[in-house]
Amino acid sequence: MKFKSQHTYRNTMQHIRDGILVVNTETIAGKVITQNLGVVGGSTVRAKNIGRDFTQGIRNIFGGELLKYTELLEESRNEAIARMVADAAARGANAIVNVRFATSAVTAGAAELFAYGTAVTVE
Amino acid sequence: MHYRTNRVRTLAIALLSVLAFSVVVSAQGVVEERPEEGPPMILFVVGFCVLPWVLLSLVWVVYGVAYPFMFIFGALFGGRNLEKRINAVVLRERSSIEHFGKDPLSTLKGSHIVGGVNNSGLVYSSIVYAPSHWMLLIAWFNNLVGGRVDILQRAVAAARSEAKQLLRERAKEAGWDEVLNVRIDTAEMAPGGRNALVRGAVEIFAYGTGVKYG
Repeated sequence: MKFKSQHTYRNTMQHIRDGILVVNTETIAGKVITQNLGVVGGSTVRAKNIGRDFTQGIRNIFGGELLKYTELLEESRNEAIARMVADAAARGANAIVNVRFATSAVTAGAAELFAYGTAVTVE
Repeated sequence: MHYRTNRVRTLAIALLSVLAFSVVVSAQGVVEERPEEGPPMILFVVGFCVLPWVLLSLVWVVYGVAYPFMFIFGALFGGRNLEKRINAVVLRERSSIEHFGKDPLSTLKGSHIVGGVNNSGLVYSSIVYAPSHWMLLIAWFNNLVGGRVDILQRAVAAARSEAKQLLRERAKEAGWDEVLNVRIDTAEMAPGGRNALVRGAVEIFAYGTGVKYG
């Protein structure tokens, strides 16, 4: 059976196109870290709109996946990662290691998505 | 994406300008007091300021009428849908384990890989999952008595296994052989109170480092 949540793998591999390696391990296997350029991060705050809140509220009565919210968070996460990668590129890094993600609700309607890691140069 | 924010912005600007325009026009109408004017300005004010609220309250009335039926529907079929979903995830899990030859996800850091690694990169997936209002009601009763709240645990566990399965599928799509250092985060999606529309929704977010053997 196919469910809608198997949506496409859109912008998620943007960092590879940018030529910056992003991993969440402490080292990159097969490469040597030569320089540490500090912590880089990127964040987005996303608000859900009232109409979407209403439709997802109806979906909530039945239970199950809230597809629109999944898509919203996916897009926001891509944006946060893109900002982190841009930050690292501005510092002249070619890789980001030990990436972590954090989600927090700023107000009742808005979620902040934050990605951070260490920008390094590898050989 | 950008078009969405633009749309919201234009809508807000249009609404504000309509409001300002109607206020100005109605003020002029009061000052000039010309009876030969065609439609009275009060119509515009009513049309642009009152009508949206009337429509909104109508929507709420419809919601209030339909809510019990939706609630009962969710109580009757919510559990079965969850069961179906869990079974589908189990099937998908089996097929991806067949593809990789083992479960590709692990929390190891990669020192167990003997042949070396050719390439690596981030892979992540997320899912927002909400229990039905029926489940929330049962959980509320459970809260009174104390003890385990199995009904919510099942929903969250289903969401978690689905997020993990999505991660496997994405690793397969990107061509990785294994996913290292997997972390699974759970965040409360809608921390609104009693009046919030969306209640009890959680976001499960799984991420790891995909590697390709050298």
